[in-house]
Amino acid sequence: MLSLLRSPEPTFRHLLIGDWLTIIFSAVITAGLFLTLWSHELASKIQIRVGDKIQATYDLNQQRDITVHGAIGDAVIHINQGKVRFSKSPCHNQYCVHQGWLTHSGQVAICLPNQISLELIGAKKPYDSLNY
Amino acid sequence: MRKWPVSLLVIAMLALVIAGVRALRQEPLYHTQSYVFGTLVDISIYGEPEDRATLLANQVLQDFQNLHNQLHAWKQAGKGQASELGTLNTAFASGTKPVAISPQLAAMLTEATDLSVKSQGLFNPAIGHLISTWGFQRDEFTAVRIDDETIKALLKTKPRMTDIVLKDHTAFSTNPNVKLDLGGYAKGYALDMAADYLRRQQVKNALINIGGNIIAIGRHGDKPWRVGIQHPRKPAAIATLDLADGWAIGTSGDYQRYFMLDGKRYCHIIDPRNGYPVQHTQAVTVLIPPRKNAGVLSDVASKPIFIAAAEDKASTAAMLGIQYFMVIDQQSNIFVSQALAKKLDWLDPEVNNNRHVKLVTLP
Repeated sequence: MLSLLRSPEPTFRHLLIGDWLTIIFSAVITAGLFLTLWSHELASKIQIRVGDKIQATYDLNQQRDITVHGAIGDAVIHINQGKVRFSKSPCHNQYCVHQGWLTHSGQVAICLPNQISLELIGAKKPYDSLNY
Repeated sequence: MRKWPVSLLVIAMLALVIAGVRALRQEPLYHTQSYVFGTLVDISIYGEPEDRATLLANQVLQDFQNLHNQLHAWKQAGKGQASELGTLNTAFASGTKPVAISPQLAAMLTEATDLSVKSQGLFNPAIGHLISTWGFQRDEFTAVRIDDETIKALLKTKPRMTDIVLKDHTAFSTNPNVKLDLGGYAKGYALDMAADYLRRQQVKNALINIGGNIIAIGRHGDKPWRVGIQHPRKPAAIATLDLADGWAIGTSGDYQRYFMLDGKRYCHIIDPRNGYPVQHTQAVTVLIPPRKNAGVLSDVASKPIFIAAAEDKASTAAMLGIQYFMVIDQQSNIFVSQALAKKLDWLDPEVNNNRHVKLVTLP
């Protein structure tokens, strides 16, 4: 491989049709493996929407607090190694905070008064929409 | 000309293949969320160019906003003007003089009255006074002191949908205590309206979700649309199912609007027979096969089943012509009609382990 890199031209000139087929074949296989295996390794993400806009998407594999400015005030969203929850909200009934931890792809927490929604996103979406 | 090393060529080819497959995998799926009706509206449109999908979705949201302004039970429509429904409620309270109403509102009231009669009054949008006494006609409601006397007095006035007289685009009520609250009807009506509009615009595939009530048009590409049913006590779905073209699904739950008082949960669904919030049920889900007003039924039909006592739930469903339903009671027992059970895929591991799911046969 090293010699290949150092003196590419002679090698390149002597490639036959079979060599090309091998290269193309391995390229396709590698690309296929990359697309199937790599996407599953992608950590789940948390998507935060405010009103009708996607505010941000964060990796779930970390520990941090995110302050989000909603319609009626600041909410704090707490990410903790693969799970996420509303930890503070200016809303009156605190339904969003009482929802607790979201862990699986497709789960959502909505704060209607503050117009903030959280959705967990994984490699696969288990459903298109949620009936509640 | 300088030749590239083979390794670079391979890498370039790899990148091209990956980019190509990524591009092919990009679905023609448009998705938007917005807050209308005091709730979350979520629209997916599949197979339309993005700019057209955006225009269509915005029109649907605009129609929802207009409907909301027309029907809002406790907010001013703007600039000191009451909504059409608010004006009508004022007229009902002040006498029997007929007032002009729009053909659209007249049609809604006719349909709501039919369903109220069919449910033997368990669906009763005329009890607006009771609902506001419980404090649920506010965006941000608090636990109320329970006013048993007022509730008793309001019950005695027996407000019913059949007290309303519709004639020649006018309406009046023979009972001044009728106060309309279409909270259990309007979202369903809006679903039908949106589905009709999108179909007229030749949209082949869409999924519309208004505050949890969903109607499907067509499919999500080569698969049917798939929806999750929320667990009433966990921030997760309890089951999923395919929602085929024209089908609608709706859930009434005690977890959407409620307050806690002395450790007891008071939800927004009020039993019109005793005037108190229902406390024996956590959630009722109904699935409606394609029909003219599938959206309305998905909204309305879950309420009477929710309100009915455990032993009456199946017969109440039958009375409304509902074949597909699921009940989760206060002890988290799950009762599913056989027709719906065949369509559900359980997601909740607890359900799968214990199988505390009972099949219900319709009478």
